[in-house]
Amino acid sequence: MTPKPTLTAAVLAVGLLVAGPVSTHTPLFSCFDNYDGTIFCEGGFSDGSSAAGVKIEVLVAGQAVLSTELDADGILETGKPEGDYTVRFDAGPGHVIDVAGGEIE
Amino acid sequence: MRAVLLAAALICAADAAQAHFQLVYTPDVNVSRPGALPLRLVFAHPAENGHVMAMGEPLEFYFVLRGKRTDLKADLAPIAWTGGHNAAAGFAGILPVRRNGDYIMALIPSPYYEAGEDIYIQQITKSFVNKGGVPTGWEETLDLPAEIRPLAKPYALYAGGSFSGQVLSTGEPVPFAEIEVEYLNHPPVLDTNMFDPDGQITPPSDAFITMTIFADATGTFTFGLPRAGFWGFCALGVGPETEHEGKELSQDAVIWVRAYDMK
Repeated sequence: MTPKPTLTAAVLAVGLLVAGPVSTHTPLFSCFDNYDGTIFCEGGFSDGSSAAGVKIEVLVAGQAVLSTELDADGILETGKPEGDYTVRFDAGPGHVIDVAGGEIE
Repeated sequence: MRAVLLAAALICAADAAQAHFQLVYTPDVNVSRPGALPLRLVFAHPAENGHVMAMGEPLEFYFVLRGKRTDLKADLAPIAWTGGHNAAAGFAGILPVRRNGDYIMALIPSPYYEAGEDIYIQQITKSFVNKGGVPTGWEETLDLPAEIRPLAKPYALYAGGSFSGQVLSTGEPVPFAEIEVEYLNHPPVLDTNMFDPDGQITPPSDAFITMTIFADATGTFTFGLPRAGFWGFCALGVGPETEHEGKELSQDAVIWVRAYDMK
């Protein structure tokens, strides 16, 4: 006798299908120095989807000195902090990217 | 006399074995930083480093990023490009890269008169650069008269993998289009505007200098990429224009892709 598929299995299968595209894309985030006292940061995803509205934090000594989000083009231009700093792209669990200020040239 | 004729026939045959390819070249097609990338426009025989053809002033040269078109023609500077047999006119340019995404370059050259065949050749060419790994439209068409639409990221291919494309004429698929394929065997040396005289490979026979494949009934083709480097695909005579200045015109569609070693 062939066992009937359970509702749980069906829901799990649907869940996997729905989750598939979301879990396979990779967050992408890069920053560079405009050399005018500002930095330019841009986010996106490997499937081409937009990073508009993704949370961005600028951290100095582990403390957020700026908490904002990427604009409609997935861009943030902001003043360059003094000293060591980190720009954090936070698109949710597993989708967080830290860019160290020392790498922003 | 017969020997002379035979020799002449062999020279013609050798010429026929290599294909003209319009190059729109920059060495690094995956970049992570903003900058001004050097470009070279050269009309040549890239697999065998044969005769370089003199380019006239391009009709159009631009790039498209996120649907926005930006002119590149105004900043072109004439150069002399040296190949294995001669030097001929080409152009140097700059691709300004700032935002992440797909920079799709399109060149519509002026028709080139090929005296040996008494025809004009116009190779409408696309090349790609990506910044930051973010895809923003590499698969889109640019509404060119003759065009190869990539069906795989043309800048992110592994050697040993394959590339697929679709041949289009004014946006419509071209069934069973004839496509020539060449490997850029002599890396361009930008400092001296020449092909490296030393080839990367030695084809096993002349039949491998220019390979020929055909698209299927939907104009789609797939080609395995056996080696890292740049590969050119040229769909012959697929554009709508068939005559220029009273002579036959072959309006071809060229696309350049780059394969990388899997390390």
